[in-house]
Amino acid sequence: MKSRRVVAAALAAVTSLVLAACSGGSGDDGGPVTLKFQSLSDQPAAIAATNKIVDDWNKAHPDVHVEVVQAGWDGVYDKLITQFNAGSAPDIIHYEAAGVVPFARDGYLADLSPYLTEAKKADIPKGVLDSVTVDGQVIAQPTELQSYVVFANKSLLDKAGVAVPTGDTMTWDQLRDIAKATTRDGAYGLSWGLSSPTASMVALAPAFGGQYFEGTGTDAKISIGQGEMALPQLVDAMAHQDNSILPVTLTQSGSKALAPFYAGQTAMTIQGSFQAANIAKDAPAGFDWVVLPPLAGPAGPAQAANPQTLSVNRDSEHVEQAAQFIDFFTSTENLAALNEADALIPATTSARDALDTKLGAQNGWKEILASGQYLTSAPYLFVDKYAQWKDTVATPAYQKFLAQQIDANGLSKELSDGWDSINR
Amino acid sequence: MRVLLRPAQYLALAAYILFLGFPLLWLVSASVKSSGELNSLTVSLLPDQWHWSNYSEALDRQGLIHSAGNSLIVALVSTALVIVIALPASYVLARLRGKVRAAGVGWILTSQVFPVVLVILPLFLILRTIGLSDSLAGLTLVHTTYTLPFALWMLQGYVTAIPVDLEEAGAMDGAGRWTVLRRIVFPLLMPGIVATAMFSFVSSWNEFFFALVLLQSPENYTLPITLNMFIGGEGKVALGPLAAGAVLAAIPSIVFFTLLRRRLTSGLMAGAVKG
Repeated sequence: MKSRRVVAAALAAVTSLVLAACSGGSGDDGGPVTLKFQSLSDQPAAIAATNKIVDDWNKAHPDVHVEVVQAGWDGVYDKLITQFNAGSAPDIIHYEAAGVVPFARDGYLADLSPYLTEAKKADIPKGVLDSVTVDGQVIAQPTELQSYVVFANKSLLDKAGVAVPTGDTMTWDQLRDIAKATTRDGAYGLSWGLSSPTASMVALAPAFGGQYFEGTGTDAKISIGQGEMALPQLVDAMAHQDNSILPVTLTQSGSKALAPFYAGQTAMTIQGSFQAANIAKDAPAGFDWVVLPPLAGPAGPAQAANPQTLSVNRDSEHVEQAAQFIDFFTSTENLAALNEADALIPATTSARDALDTKLGAQNGWKEILASGQYLTSAPYLFVDKYAQWKDTVATPAYQKFLAQQIDANGLSKELSDGWDSINR
Repeated sequence: MRVLLRPAQYLALAAYILFLGFPLLWLVSASVKSSGELNSLTVSLLPDQWHWSNYSEALDRQGLIHSAGNSLIVALVSTALVIVIALPASYVLARLRGKVRAAGVGWILTSQVFPVVLVILPLFLILRTIGLSDSLAGLTLVHTTYTLPFALWMLQGYVTAIPVDLEEAGAMDGAGRWTVLRRIVFPLLMPGIVATAMFSFVSSWNEFFFALVLLQSPENYTLPITLNMFIGGEGKVALGPLAAGAVLAAIPSIVFFTLLRRRLTSGLMAGAVKG
């Protein structure tokens, strides 16, 4: 993230010197329109699903040919910023909201509002739509989402005499109680990969009323109050008072924290919902796992959403056709198929319902899809220096707090002072 | 004591080789483990079950062979260009005296301080203007340009190490300039040329950022770009296929090094000049 900002600043400086030499992109002289669609789909099934959608479009629209350009997630920001500056970015861009919002603020993305039907708008949960709305313009259509969910080893819960919660949601206090109860016989209640804790903290803060930021752009102000501090303090209490979190996982990635879960060393693990697919594939034979109901705090079960998105390059010569393709891509049937392949949550209510009808009976899907309805707008998406704050201030501060090198006051002070220093 | 010295030396050498080779050994091991085993707490060098499908998945999924071919073309051509340009230039740089040399050395050192992100956009625009953006030819030019300064610096060090006395002795014996270069300088410079070629090859073979930004068509992707696609969003990594792909990716480098190893001998000049 840090390098992203360095790249952005460096390229912006160079652009002013050399962009004069650059003229507009290539155009089609008659014949069918060709649109370049840079896709970041990374799972074989998702790549196949994406290609099928594109093939279906091309068959139905011989006058507008969409060409998939497969790219990878790593380094895509650097690639895109160079392409935008050089005037050669693809027509249709697949990325995440946190990635495209800065491009939208810099004026690189087309406003898709004129191409969004009221029905489509109504189909996208408001919080999710807000996450791709910049200065009143819808700059991307959300496609796929993930939430944080609790995976549990049912056998260990049964062994500890804990009934699997069955309500629409479960509280963080319930999670803490279950973790305490299942911390026995050498096993811990919870593994939670918090090597990069900021993403989890800001995403889960809305359940405690935490927003972190007020305002947008460079005018954003940080607010570290009870709502923002509640979750880190809860984790600290579980880790160091209850001793119900396997300590080593606090310094590991989410994927690494799955290993002790598979080995029966922990009864539960908090993970991105997409891990359901990996657990189904990698867990030992006979491993009895369930997904617990969405977590709710005092302010409800809300989580901040950072959806994957499709947006249109404003300099594309065929903005309208690109927007029509995105509308096709995000139809109920297509989004359901894509999210099934990627083990993610569809960004539209209708696609989520369709997937629930199809897969609701399968392990974990019902709870994961249910958690999707609680995803809401993330204020940090609209804060210019969030990435810099996350990498240079928040992550080290949380790590020190979780390692008990600073207390809650120290954490709060570091988060606030660090922001003030960066956003001077 | 002396009897024990030789076995101890071999033992130390073996330990050192094992230490250096362990990451490669671990990579090979990971490439034949199942996803479940790679994500379990059990750590073992040998897999429970040999999972060869990682290799087929790596080959099927991202067009690895095609990308490796692209990388090989770019690396070999840019290495050849670097050597062809650096060889005479480094000789001049090493033997020349005066302001021109100082300016050359100054420029070489200065060119090393520019961060990649500063040059990428001008490069992108230049390549597009001359019709070489999103092409292997363009990437080859960029790799050549980027590697050349260090290669020059490296090679001129080797030239400097060849005593001028040798060339003068050759001239005294009646050899012309070209003969001196061909019969005396080039043979002595061979280890330096080989080392520089290896450096250029590896630099190009492993280069990621320029390829990432400059190449846009999947059919032009080089190996690092293709391998990068095994790393997905949200920290998702296809570890087994990635390891298999990395093993396959290492093979051309190993072959290239093996072919050149014999040339990379030192001590060619031992005894050439009387102290």
